[in-house]
Amino acid sequence: MTARHAIRRKAGPRPGEGLTGDLFAVPLAAAAPLVAPVQRAAPAPRQLWLAVQLTALPLVAAAAADTRPLVIVAGEGSARTLVGCNAVALRAGLGAGLALAAARVRVPGLEVRERDPRLEQRHLARLARWALGLTPLVSVEAPDALLLEVQGSLRLYGGLGPLLERAAAELCSQGYPAALGVAPTPLAALWLARAGTSATAVAAAVESQAGLAGALAALPLSVTRWPARTLEDCTRLGVTTLGELRRLPREGLAQRFTPALLAQLDEVYGQRPAPRRRYVAPERFEQRLELPAELASAAALLPYCGRLLEALEQHLRARDAATTTLAFTLLHRDQRPACVRLGRALPAVAAAEWAGLLRERLEHVVLAAPVRALLLRSGAAVPAGGASGELDGCGGGQSQAEAESFRLLDRLRARLGEEAISGVCLVPEHRPEVAFRSLRPEPRAPRPALADGALPATPRPLWLLATPEPLALRDGQPDCGGALQFESGPERIESGWWEAQAVMRDYYVARTPRGVRLWIYRVRAGAAARCWFLHGVFG
Amino acid sequence: MNGSLDALLAGASVWRAREGIAAAQDAKACRPSGWPKLDAELPGGGWPVGTLTELLLAEAGVGELSLLLPALRGIACDTPATTRRWFAWIAPPHAPYPPALAQGGIPPDRLLFIRATRMQDRLWAVEQALRSGSCAAVLAWLDGADDRWLRRLKLAAETGPALTVLFRPLRCRGIGSPAGLRLALEPTPAGLDLWVLKRRGRGPVRVHDALGA
Repeated sequence: MTARHAIRRKAGPRPGEGLTGDLFAVPLAAAAPLVAPVQRAAPAPRQLWLAVQLTALPLVAAAAADTRPLVIVAGEGSARTLVGCNAVALRAGLGAGLALAAARVRVPGLEVRERDPRLEQRHLARLARWALGLTPLVSVEAPDALLLEVQGSLRLYGGLGPLLERAAAELCSQGYPAALGVAPTPLAALWLARAGTSATAVAAAVESQAGLAGALAALPLSVTRWPARTLEDCTRLGVTTLGELRRLPREGLAQRFTPALLAQLDEVYGQRPAPRRRYVAPERFEQRLELPAELASAAALLPYCGRLLEALEQHLRARDAATTTLAFTLLHRDQRPACVRLGRALPAVAAAEWAGLLRERLEHVVLAAPVRALLLRSGAAVPAGGASGELDGCGGGQSQAEAESFRLLDRLRARLGEEAISGVCLVPEHRPEVAFRSLRPEPRAPRPALADGALPATPRPLWLLATPEPLALRDGQPDCGGALQFESGPERIESGWWEAQAVMRDYYVARTPRGVRLWIYRVRAGAAARCWFLHGVFG
Repeated sequence: MNGSLDALLAGASVWRAREGIAAAQDAKACRPSGWPKLDAELPGGGWPVGTLTELLLAEAGVGELSLLLPALRGIACDTPATTRRWFAWIAPPHAPYPPALAQGGIPPDRLLFIRATRMQDRLWAVEQALRSGSCAAVLAWLDGADDRWLRRLKLAAETGPALTVLFRPLRCRGIGSPAGLRLALEPTPAGLDLWVLKRRGRGPVRVHDALGA
């Protein structure tokens, strides 16, 4: 879904790319030349970028507990280095960048996990959906950062301070350590954030173009993530900060370094447009949650399902949408995944509404094996207009009784299953067994006009057997706990000869010696000719 | 002595609290059964709503649905089309036949069939149906409900004005129940006999051929 967007590297500074459909560019003078003049004023409207640089994404993605030293590694052979350490490993003196071999020597019994870039991208996409709640302009900066254009959201949140506070608090509660940076250009925000510490905190916030150069000047060159060789070249020149690099004559830089590096320098200072691909969330919600440990009881899954439901609520609210169906997939280690489906008669948004249904349902789920991960997929999104938040108002034209009716159906379906609940409608048909049809009960269905001709003229039994029962014969007469007394009949029913279920029967109403009235018939033709069957009880 | 007491009680000067209160309560929460012989024996002159009624029967089909049909038709006629409430059928032993119900005056689009094999699920479904307030009638077949559950259902029934009928096996006859009205059904060659086992304010009675004229 989003991996394709997320994995795609940031678009290179190709001239003109900012003009294509789903890219949005810093609105500077279009298509700046490769080597731009140093001074160039940024025209309005201005932008303000918030960079969310995740500082421990490999570790978060691994969803590991903090019980024993654990590290995440990447790379091949002897170049395998640590990219993430849990708290225990950090206390033991390990840190990112250390070679795995060295780490093993320092900490015996170290648990080592391979980095999973695809899983990290899923987390990033998940955060991108969260970010859509703050601003509609979000860009995924693979492999471990997000860029949010927040100028338009400032008024809504009452300024940059409250916005940052909220972003930091929500990141923290979701368990993503991140450094935040704010600047008028996306790359500057990102680099400022990268200079930050690992705790969820605002590394730097530069709101105006005027303060930008000063804030960037002290940044170490490592924030650029340029190739190691480039960084070494800079060190050899005696350049360790961005400010020092910028003071070098441009012509010299152009000779020594690649055009891409110069382009980035121009981007960071806002002298060249830096288009970003806008993140578009998929219409259907889909999110996976790795459990910290394998869980064997369905009840223990509830809080984790709750987290997914909250993410779903956020996703739906960001789109002003709702949905009527959900599917939880329970992933086991060796067995085939199990699926728990939930449905509602009315579209719903709130996590709490779904959680109630889920609780009913999980009570009856027997896990085939311990669950290792959860996957939540939503059904098609529908406009939230008729969603349950408005049920009690008069807007929907829906009565209180109708709303209760919907809720009852939802609860019954959630616990007993979709097929356990049915409504019914009549079918104009002579064969008794097909004169009605089961259907999904619908409180709002228009009441069909019941034409008098649609009902049979003779009485029908209140109970109908699913399959007619053959009746024994005594002295040539049908018998059911004693000889039957015929009350009325025959009523001849011949129909369906054009189908497999042809019917040629004579129906009678008969009374048993105990006084129970039965509806019986005799087959007129075919293999079972002249046999008697019990078809219904008048009850 | 007895004679003078009867004469005294028959006089208008004596007000009997038990009957007065019972009658006042019954009048507002009863629905005529449609069978004159039975109505004469039921407190309030019909099926009580907002409480439990138990019908005990040896097997399905002895006439229990015919017995209820006039009352159900009355409910269907009374509730206006705008407030659509369900006739919930919980775990019936056979399929109720919708054309026959329609002949009896119950619109098919109001029927809600709920299948549940486990007793715990059945009881839960009954409770949900009663508490939701969206059912005009709840008919449930329960063979093994304990006293604790029945009390729970009674409380649930009191939350709404639904006609609540529990169908239970005849062997429960000797076991106490919180239901306000209990009847045993006994088909005879002469018609359906009803034993009113428990009713408010009065003792048990047998009604011969209750569905007859």
